[in-house]
Amino acid sequence: MVKLTFVQADGTEHQVDATLGLSVMQVALSQGVPGISAECNGSAACATCHVYFDASVFDLLPAVQTHEDDMLDFAASDRNPGSRLSCQVQVTEAIAGTRIQLPDLQ
Amino acid sequence: MPKDVPHVSDISIAMLTDDPYPCFDRVRDRASAVWVDSARLNLVTRFDDIMEIERNHHIFASTNPQSLMNTVMGHSLMRKDDEAHQIERKAIEPSFRPGVVKQHFAPIFSVIVDELLDGIAAKGQADLFDAFAAPMASHALIELLGLDGVGWQDLARWSQALMDGVGNYGADPDIANRAKDASDAVDRVIDKALPRHLKSKNPTILSSMAHAPTLHGINQIRANVKVIIGGGLNEPRDAILTSLHGLLSHPDQLAAVRADPSLHSAVFEEAVRWVSPIGMYPRRVTCDTTLGETPLKEGDQLGICVGAANRDPSRFTRPNDFDIHRPRQQHLAFGAGPHFCAGTWVARQMVGEIAVPRLLRRLKGLRLDSQKTVQVRGWVFRGPTSLPVLWDA
Repeated sequence: MVKLTFVQADGTEHQVDATLGLSVMQVALSQGVPGISAECNGSAACATCHVYFDASVFDLLPAVQTHEDDMLDFAASDRNPGSRLSCQVQVTEAIAGTRIQLPDLQ
Repeated sequence: MPKDVPHVSDISIAMLTDDPYPCFDRVRDRASAVWVDSARLNLVTRFDDIMEIERNHHIFASTNPQSLMNTVMGHSLMRKDDEAHQIERKAIEPSFRPGVVKQHFAPIFSVIVDELLDGIAAKGQADLFDAFAAPMASHALIELLGLDGVGWQDLARWSQALMDGVGNYGADPDIANRAKDASDAVDRVIDKALPRHLKSKNPTILSSMAHAPTLHGINQIRANVKVIIGGGLNEPRDAILTSLHGLLSHPDQLAAVRADPSLHSAVFEEAVRWVSPIGMYPRRVTCDTTLGETPLKEGDQLGICVGAANRDPSRFTRPNDFDIHRPRQQHLAFGAGPHFCAGTWVARQMVGEIAVPRLLRRLKGLRLDSQKTVQVRGWVFRGPTSLPVLWDA
């Protein structure tokens, strides 16, 4: 278990206990964090679980694969250098304590 | 205390086919799952229940030993779960990526649309089912798949024969034979095209399958191509027609989208919410469980009515109205979960960004032909079966 903090577009914060091995998307959904739709529920097909990581954390994450990279260009809110689909990012010790920014629109 | 699954015996297939929405309302008001005699399924109609089902695919499986789809098309990814499904889904993903669609397929779709419009523009009237939507969707699918020397009418006929075969619960031998003939014909065109795709990798679906990271057997390729033919033709066709039907019967909204073309994506999402091209798909219960307050038993067959969920009044205000100005919110027209429609981004671009906007730009003064009637049919699959229109030629 590690702590993660989800930051809504309006600044509201939700700190949650995240189980190692789950995806960040699964953690947000199971803990009732708003702002992540996850319409395809983790199939990397809908681009509605878009989140922004800080640059310092982004490099600790597994690399973005071609499919996710393509999908992120079509997310409803603009892509930035910290953009990921949260269904493709597993909770690890490396991201313990991270603040994850949610976009305005999914 | 959970109650048993309620039974309904006075909803006929004819009622569902004609207008399923009053039937869906009755079922939705009654319980989380309701056995409907004529459909021989437990219908699930509430938005939140369907989300629950799609988030628990180990309890609500897609694999189904009784599936007619397996008999007609072979065992495709649509009736597989977990790793078996993921391997085949991953294989086709490269052809369906939004960026690939935009760069490679969108220009091809634009040419198809413009050629069809060139052919009808001077006529001033047409039924847009035959004259535009059906050939558009069929030509586009031939290009997506990477088939060679196939006419649009052939693919449309095969698609219909395969879908009729999948729905042939009465075991009609003529329907079964037509489905078998279509299946054989599809096998032949795959055999013809496959060597070209094996030789040179390209964005088409056949190429993606031929170069899959996990090697596919010919039967996997054949079954998945047939599912894509069954699911990739009628749906964009129906989404085109429903978008136009919605706009032409709401002149204020038509004027709004003509004034602001950025509304076209809202038109598409609202059209597939309002009349979802795939209205119902099956799931099988793998263990005794409870949905809402309704107990379900291992082996129960469910009919997941996304067409009903997309008009659930607990999620959508005035759910029966076509309204492109609704606040943006999730709908279930593409399903949810691991089987979320692979063709979503193809449809968004083909229908929402190319076919409908180009047609509206080209056919000035487009309006419904008041001397004729628009027909909308179906509940498992639903869309206009004719859309007679006039324009200023």
